[in-house]
Amino acid sequence: MNNIQLNDRRFGFFFVAPAVVILSIVILAPIVIAIITSFYDYTLINRSLDNFIGLNNYFESIANKKFLHSTLVTITFVFFVVLFEFLIGFLIAILLNQVERFRNVYYFILLIPLLINPVVVGLIWRMFLHPQLGILNYLIGFIGIEPVNWLGDPQNAFITIIFVDIWHQVSFMIILLLAGLASIPEEPYEAARVDGANAFQQFRDITLPYMRPVIIITLLIRLIFALKTYDLIYIMTKGGPGDATDLISYYIYRSAFIGLDLGQAASMSVILLFIVCIIIYPLFKYMSRADE
Amino acid sequence: MNSKHIQLNSVTKKFQNNTVVNNVSFDITDNEFFILLGPSGCGKSTTLRMIAGLEEITSGSIIADQKDISYEDPKDRNVAFVFQNYALYPHMNVRENLSYSLKLRKITQIKIDEKINWVTNLLKIKELLDRKPSQLSGGQRQRVALGRSLVRDPIAFLLDEPLSNLDAQLRVEMRQELISLQKKLSKTFIYVTHDQVEAMTMATRICIMNQGEILQIGPPQEVYDQPNSIFVAKFLANPINNILKSNIVNKNNEIFIETLGINIVNKKLINLSQVFFSIRPENIYLESYDRDKTIKVEIIQIENHGHELLMTSKLINNSQLLYFRISKENKITLGSKVTLGFNVEDLLFFDITNNRRIK
Amino acid sequence: MKTFISILLSLTFFSVNANSVTLRAVMENVPDTKFIQELLPDFTEKTGIEVEFEVMGYGEMHPKLVPSLTASKGSYDFMPVDFYWVGEFDKAGWMMSLDDMIAKDSFDTSVYFDSLMDLTGRVGDTTYMLPFYNYAMGLTVRKDLINDSTNQSNFKAKYGIDLKIPTEWNEYLNQVEFFTDKDNGFYGVVNQGGKADPIAMEWSNYLFARGGSFHDQNWNGQLNSKEALEALNDYISMISNYGPLGAESFSFDEAFNVAAQGNAYSYLTYNWFLGSYNDPDQSSVVGKMALIPVPGEGGLNGAWGWSIPTSSPNPEAAWEFLKWVESPEIAKRRAEMGGAATRKDVFDDPDLNAKFDHYPGLKKLLATSKNFPVFTYTPQFVEVMGTELSKAVIGEQDASTALANMNEQLEELAAKDGKR
Repeated sequence: MNNIQLNDRRFGFFFVAPAVVILSIVILAPIVIAIITSFYDYTLINRSLDNFIGLNNYFESIANKKFLHSTLVTITFVFFVVLFEFLIGFLIAILLNQVERFRNVYYFILLIPLLINPVVVGLIWRMFLHPQLGILNYLIGFIGIEPVNWLGDPQNAFITIIFVDIWHQVSFMIILLLAGLASIPEEPYEAARVDGANAFQQFRDITLPYMRPVIIITLLIRLIFALKTYDLIYIMTKGGPGDATDLISYYIYRSAFIGLDLGQAASMSVILLFIVCIIIYPLFKYMSRADE
Repeated sequence: MNSKHIQLNSVTKKFQNNTVVNNVSFDITDNEFFILLGPSGCGKSTTLRMIAGLEEITSGSIIADQKDISYEDPKDRNVAFVFQNYALYPHMNVRENLSYSLKLRKITQIKIDEKINWVTNLLKIKELLDRKPSQLSGGQRQRVALGRSLVRDPIAFLLDEPLSNLDAQLRVEMRQELISLQKKLSKTFIYVTHDQVEAMTMATRICIMNQGEILQIGPPQEVYDQPNSIFVAKFLANPINNILKSNIVNKNNEIFIETLGINIVNKKLINLSQVFFSIRPENIYLESYDRDKTIKVEIIQIENHGHELLMTSKLINNSQLLYFRISKENKITLGSKVTLGFNVEDLLFFDITNNRRIK
Repeated sequence: MKTFISILLSLTFFSVNANSVTLRAVMENVPDTKFIQELLPDFTEKTGIEVEFEVMGYGEMHPKLVPSLTASKGSYDFMPVDFYWVGEFDKAGWMMSLDDMIAKDSFDTSVYFDSLMDLTGRVGDTTYMLPFYNYAMGLTVRKDLINDSTNQSNFKAKYGIDLKIPTEWNEYLNQVEFFTDKDNGFYGVVNQGGKADPIAMEWSNYLFARGGSFHDQNWNGQLNSKEALEALNDYISMISNYGPLGAESFSFDEAFNVAAQGNAYSYLTYNWFLGSYNDPDQSSVVGKMALIPVPGEGGLNGAWGWSIPTSSPNPEAAWEFLKWVESPEIAKRRAEMGGAATRKDVFDDPDLNAKFDHYPGLKKLLATSKNFPVFTYTPQFVEVMGTELSKAVIGEQDASTALANMNEQLEELAAKDGKR
């Protein structure tokens, strides 16, 4: 390597160094601290690293039925939320891609829910969904449907939070998928039309293959964020009724700040991190393979 | 054998208020190599795409084999289209690209394999079958694009500037291949290009377009020697044509062309005071002894094309430019004044008001 | 030039020094906070100390406080402490003892209701807090419906007793049944059955009303008693039979709105809601709601106390604030605006009694209110109650299982805290 290349490299390092340092402090350090904490009996009342208990917190967490229940609830929630947001988002993106006039207007309107703070989203929807005073039951009354107990019935509550999350987040999918669709060249479609492909065949043989990396990345990102859903539960159901909507982030939060057992909570967080890594890994590998 | 294979009747295309193709009509006979030639934006590609069904017709009709196909889907017209950028399916390998249209038609695998065999032998792309388009060179992609259209056995092949993305060397090779391919297949080729060399060398007939309108249709030599308008005269030139302006004076049954300083006899020019005229560079000679007329010029530019020199000169009395070609043995220097010779029969005259040739 | 600059510099020095203390505190977004905010200029004028409040919802306060409390020098100079947190803060040693400051300035703490000093005043023998405002729970009922003669005769005909302000629990249950008319969208009761806080607090009243209790002096759980079972069955029946759809998930605001829009006869809630009922911007039953003690054997007490964190950057200035905000005149002015006082002298004040006719009732309410179990794991236990009660209400488990679970976990947590 000659001098110019060496200088370039050094310059590159300096450029990247501030970001790396900040990221290490803000992201890596807390993770490491959390992992360390999980091996101790560390509570908010007795904040000391005197009590090393090894994997005890982990054993307790795994044996904890409520933790397992929350994990199950979360996985179910994430599955449906990501699935529906993807399907609906993709459909809307396809439709939007064919619109030429006023596209920006539709885009902006669809974007608005995503721009709203999640806490505000939760509060707005709680208002809408009030069984006696909310507008939703009022409107469905016009078509003869009985008022629905949106958040008071365990099954309904679960479906309702899925629905509210979709309302809030679907435009995230739309943005990413639309960007992917917009970058597909027009010509293969024309060749396909001449070759005799109908709309469905064009979608299957041209759109989907082109979209594969975008789809994977979009699903990946949304999956990771969905696993962390917290605000919605905190505002709308507090995990209830019963524990029907007790998502894992909310459960871990309560263990830490109400149960005051940080060590235990840390172990649960590490387990969650582990699960997330396992889910992401195959997708990650697929992505780097698909890039070639 | 003179059946009208494909007919366009007053076909017009408007994009909102913009007329891109204006009242275009022509008849193509079986097995023609019909070339639409014109500058960018003249409407030639749009016309081709309307024939394919990739663009809707605003008005007019398209007939193929006596059937009105004006409103049919591309796939029902049974034409093949070769795109300028090849438009290969990037996620399929060459074999899949070639078989796509056949699979859609539910042709049996055996027949598909036969066709692929035939086409890859014909175009010499057999070793590329398992590669993806991103692993092919420009020329190879072009052949695959061609191959994709060949497997279909269509009634006509539509090619949209297929050679414009290739380098010069490859282009010459491919021209030859296309010509022999067309002859071998005995099919109608409708071809779009802005390159007049391609048009001259490949066409049975050239159709010149500008600003959405047809200017002239005819076999290459005819269009070259007898252009209908200044535009055609200028466009069909390699590398350039001389178009000059002159005042003319009617003197005793002879017309004096002021710019050239010569008198000629031409009944058609009698009542005019000004005229455009053209003379091709290759019809201007250094030796003037056996030519009708002469003209004095000053050399202002010499371009060495390797096999010959392209000279730019200025008329002594007029300062309009005149281009001519000489062999490289001639040692003429910049700034020198020479006398050139030419024949009156090589002059073509054009009306000042409408740019059309005075016949 | 030099003199001009030195004058300027010394002026800045003095101004910086004079206003060098700004007290900061986290405060809850409730009316009592607003009343104090309006009076703050008075404090700054008297002492020259600025005060800045960070006002937020209940749920955000604890997470905001804890990091500051665990630091050696925190961000907050004084803080309101919810009775939930007293056990935890005490165990962690986050509150400064006020005994010396009280003695030095001869601050009179006998003015406070005993139950409130026990809740958010003393822990053991040491005074750590001054009670700030109370949120004892009471029953709000539609007195206009009680006073209606048609209702009175119909009620008497059906139940054989007079329709009046209820003082017995069974009497109240009858009234709830009587007034429920679901077809016309009117409910005998609206419950705040939402998870954790609302349902735990509300149900505690039912427990006390039936004469039940959480634990005995030795912290043995008493939730598996007959009274507790009756109380839970009452609650389930209220929500299922006499309450509006969705009460299982109502927070105190949502339940309030149902009552404030005139759709419910009764609502068991925090006593300071009375002000909101009488605010025409929020309610359409202005003047129609009466606040009474929970019928039966007493309702749930609740309060906040003023405390100085051990990590307070300015403890002396903080104590000045505490003295000011809990001085008799300021306490009276806060009560005048509608604040929920914690002092007997406020409730005996003739001017205030002239203004608020619910004062005698409220005084009695405070005198009879019972306390929730206060220990390190109070919030955790509230969570437990929230889950178990919620499950019982929606039918996922039966009442006795819920009570057995609650009892077991209460004893576990008490043991963890060293109480038994």
